[in-house]
Amino acid sequence: MHSLIQLSIVVLLLPLLSFVILIFFNRRLPRRGDFIGVGILGTAFAISAYIFWSVIVQTYDPAFRIAWDFTWIDLGNVPGVGPLQIKMGIVIDNLTAIMLAMVTLISLLVHLYSTGYMAGDKNYGRYFAFLGIFTFSMLGIVLSDNLFAIYIFWELVGLSSYLLIGFFFEKQSAADAQKKAFLANRVGDIGMWLGILILYSQFHTFSFEQIYANLAAGKFGLSHGWLTAAGILLFMGCVGKSAQFPLHVWLPDAMEGPTPVSALIHAATMVAAGVYFVARIFVVLTPDALHVIAFTGACTAFMAATIAITQNDIKRVLAYSTVSQLGYMVLGLGVGAYSAALFHLVTHAFFKACLFLGSGAIIHAMHHEQDMRWMGDLRKKMPWTFATFTLATLALAGLPLTSGFMSKDAILAGAIGFAKVEGGGIYYLIPVLGFFSAMLTAFYMGRQIWMVFFGESRTHLKPADDHHQAHHAHAAHDAHSDDHHEEHGVHEVSWNMRAPLVILAALSVFFVYSPDPLDGGKGWFMKMIQTPATVVGEANHQIGDLRTPHAATALAEVVPAVEATAAEAGEHGGAEKGAHTYSDVRQAEIVHAGHGAHYTAIYISSIMVLLGITMAFVVYVFNIIDPEKTAIAIRPLYLFSLNKWYWDEIYEATFIKGSMLIANILTWFDTHIVDGIVNGVATVVRNFALLNDGFDRNVVDGMVNFTAFTVNTTGAMLRKLQTGKVQTYVVMLLLAVFGYFVFYLTRLIY
Amino acid sequence: MEQLTTIGLNHYLTISAFLLGFGLFAVMTRKNAIVVLMGVELILNAANINFLAFSKYNGGMEGVMFALFVIVIAAAEAAIALAIVINIYKIFKSVDVSSIDTLKE
Repeated sequence: MHSLIQLSIVVLLLPLLSFVILIFFNRRLPRRGDFIGVGILGTAFAISAYIFWSVIVQTYDPAFRIAWDFTWIDLGNVPGVGPLQIKMGIVIDNLTAIMLAMVTLISLLVHLYSTGYMAGDKNYGRYFAFLGIFTFSMLGIVLSDNLFAIYIFWELVGLSSYLLIGFFFEKQSAADAQKKAFLANRVGDIGMWLGILILYSQFHTFSFEQIYANLAAGKFGLSHGWLTAAGILLFMGCVGKSAQFPLHVWLPDAMEGPTPVSALIHAATMVAAGVYFVARIFVVLTPDALHVIAFTGACTAFMAATIAITQNDIKRVLAYSTVSQLGYMVLGLGVGAYSAALFHLVTHAFFKACLFLGSGAIIHAMHHEQDMRWMGDLRKKMPWTFATFTLATLALAGLPLTSGFMSKDAILAGAIGFAKVEGGGIYYLIPVLGFFSAMLTAFYMGRQIWMVFFGESRTHLKPADDHHQAHHAHAAHDAHSDDHHEEHGVHEVSWNMRAPLVILAALSVFFVYSPDPLDGGKGWFMKMIQTPATVVGEANHQIGDLRTPHAATALAEVVPAVEATAAEAGEHGGAEKGAHTYSDVRQAEIVHAGHGAHYTAIYISSIMVLLGITMAFVVYVFNIIDPEKTAIAIRPLYLFSLNKWYWDEIYEATFIKGSMLIANILTWFDTHIVDGIVNGVATVVRNFALLNDGFDRNVVDGMVNFTAFTVNTTGAMLRKLQTGKVQTYVVMLLLAVFGYFVFYLTRLIY
Repeated sequence: MEQLTTIGLNHYLTISAFLLGFGLFAVMTRKNAIVVLMGVELILNAANINFLAFSKYNGGMEGVMFALFVIVIAAAEAAIALAIVINIYKIFKSVDVSSIDTLKE
């Protein structure tokens, strides 16, 4: 076993250890054991950092990959199928190393931050235990080398997400939100499992490596449509977990959880797991499946951005921006901008975690006020939070010199390239939606910064009953709210909440990823994460079908990198080296076209972002356009956005009402048909019993009673003879003798 | 009539029958237990006369033997019966047979 594999197993198991210790013993430990959670995550991060350093810095090889597995379940020789084994294993490549470091770092920072944010909560220890099990599950997804293990950890992160969303389960809204998240995820997971089964039914293995090798060798026995279906079904898991349209509804509600949890799970890591998963299965996705993915991502990005504009809850704005950014990543994968999408995953994780932790600091300082309408002028009171929040906002909006700029533009460039390769038309909708969302993002983030940090403090404007309600809602979990009531001033948060903000903000600057602020492609990330060669075979397409004339150039330019992975796949699967499939060429072309579109994307997106920020300034800083009057002027649009495109209402009216209707029908069936049968049988039995009862009472008892009656009557009659007077008996004796005598004489005579 | 002039078997039997009748009458009609006992003695003696009469006209000694036995047994019987009567008197303060019907209850 490679030493890095051993270390990664240690990293995987450390958070589980933290969970076990804290869930059982937190009440016996000083400080409820929070130092154990932080300490263990610190160790895990240190080891992950070492793995990252060995893999990315020392090795610096795009094709780096080590794997190790063991047989978990051996089913032996199954009749008709052959030997079946379920294996578990670990794979470490560049992506794993990066994800490992990212997840442990953010988890560590969130642990540290929570020691301040959650201080005094009555379930403080349990909270850290849940963070531990979440980190364990997330690392499991990252490290797994097969679909089965990923599915297990996938459900485990779903569970930890469920537990943490409903952490304040005394609140009805939190309990509802956790159920909603769990159910929405379940819909996606069912699809994902079906996708896994389609692949398993063909290859009898869950291992990524073997599935790809078998696919590359053309051993997929079903039609090409089935492969597309498998890809789309697997993508459904991502739709659920990464909150893509149409299953995005759970993520904004998940903000009911504690804010550090929103940062860790619902912004940085778990929701990105969907994107990570699509990246893992990227090579089995057919062009048709990729189109579905691209359009889903584009719709999600645009829709969420339009909703974020009108939200007033600081966390909800960030939640919708998360949905929107996840849409970008999915869009990126869909258009074939593989490296760019994963680049965005990592950059987004850092700046979005920073934003959420910043919003947590604001909420903490504002005594659990989440509504931006009652904030304002926090810039001077919370300078650290302001600086880091602003930096992360610039990254999210995608201004130059930030990490978000590089990754977002790489995706948009890929989208333009994709549209070109696919021949324009409707495919241009994807980059257009992307650019439009970029503008909206800049606008709503500008709005948020302004409402929170600038202008006048509007705390006093809050309606009294509203205020009361908010306090009431938080009374359940806010054990330390009492001392807050006394000192009502807003103040900067303590060091353990400030440090994570600074670290995360620092990781949102361009030079961490690339020396050239305008081109992420020159950085280590894009060099280490190369688009893998697809393994899907031919469908109805021929290389000649591609419309762009420079397919050959594209191949020559891009293929060497692709070649490396293809060659590796070839070793395992026996695919002919150098034989390029339609999908390969298409992919290479998209990458090529993406490179070509790089500067176009930069120009357009910069213009869009500046436009968005200018709009935010016009509306909120200079007050040239009054937002309230505008809202009234375009009231239908405003309400459409404020009510989140009415998705909750649509689902309420269709799926929820529908399942209620089905439930009612089934209830009716149960009460009338099933119960009817049971009751009918019961009635028959009962009537038969009544008949029996009558027979028993009248006939059987009658005979018994008649016997008794006869004996009784006879007895009563005979009793009268028993006078107790000896002389009577003597008379009777005499009469009897006389009678016998007469009888005897009569016999004698006749 | 000639038969009646000389004393024969019929005379004995007739006396015996009368004696039996008197005995029965006493047993059936008298209320005093001792008188009833006396009636019983009469009946036993009627039987004795019969035994002896038949014995004399049959020429055997069996009748005589039986009569002796009956006398002995009657003596024993009278002793036991009188003891019973005394006990009854102790309990019921009366020797009236019609009032002794406790077992009927």
